[in-house]
Amino acid sequence: MKEAGVVIDLQGRPLYWHAPEDRTVGSLPDSHDLWEILWENREILAGFGHSHPGSGQPGPSHTDVTTFAAIESGLGKRLDWWITSSDKMSVCRWVGPGRLTYAPIVLVQEPSWADRLRAISAGLTGPQLETRRAVLNYLLGKGSAPTAEQVQAIRQEWQM
Amino acid sequence: MAIGDNEALVNVTWAGQNGDLQDPVAYDSTDGDVRQWVTEAVRAGDIAGIDADANANFADYIVQRFPAKGEGDEAKPNRIMIRPKTPFGV
Repeated sequence: MKEAGVVIDLQGRPLYWHAPEDRTVGSLPDSHDLWEILWENREILAGFGHSHPGSGQPGPSHTDVTTFAAIESGLGKRLDWWITSSDKMSVCRWVGPGRLTYAPIVLVQEPSWADRLRAISAGLTGPQLETRRAVLNYLLGKGSAPTAEQVQAIRQEWQM
Repeated sequence: MAIGDNEALVNVTWAGQNGDLQDPVAYDSTDGDVRQWVTEAVRAGDIAGIDADANANFADYIVQRFPAKGEGDEAKPNRIMIRPKTPFGV
């Protein structure tokens, strides 16, 4: 698992998936490219989501809130800052009065891109994602049985 | 404006606006000096294209340097860019 991020527009659509090579389990490094994306899309920008390791209610780190404040000051607008863990998601917004006073709110209903952010964070590729989706849908009674290749892939992944 | 080989234009982003410091600075100026000059300039309203802001704070901004490139009419001088930092995590 490595942290990953996503830029979200005002319609709630992902504009850019951020998964730089030098990211780690616990950090996304400073990125000139990410800043250029945020700046170029500032008129239609809603916010940025990123993943945290582990489970439970995710909250922002000091690095996170200082970055939130810096980006908002540069763009001249307030944004939504989503954070996912493996099983929960929150959105942070500036509540003031301090420059770094951001409050996380746990989301009951997650946006549609949340699972893809977790999958990118987990390092899953397209075929792995399709396999998991097929198995999950079958278990939920929503789809046909996974193919033999997909079953074999899951067996290998789970060492069954 | 003539830019010397050891000088650089300083590009500033603040409050959704973008502009250059009026005068070039030494390309090897320290990050702290660049932040200080930019802070003073924005607070005083000395950068064309950026409204004066008495609360301007560049403490969490990154100072990036881009060397001169190109020749003749295509030549671009050294540039220093100060922009918000973008790291996340612990």
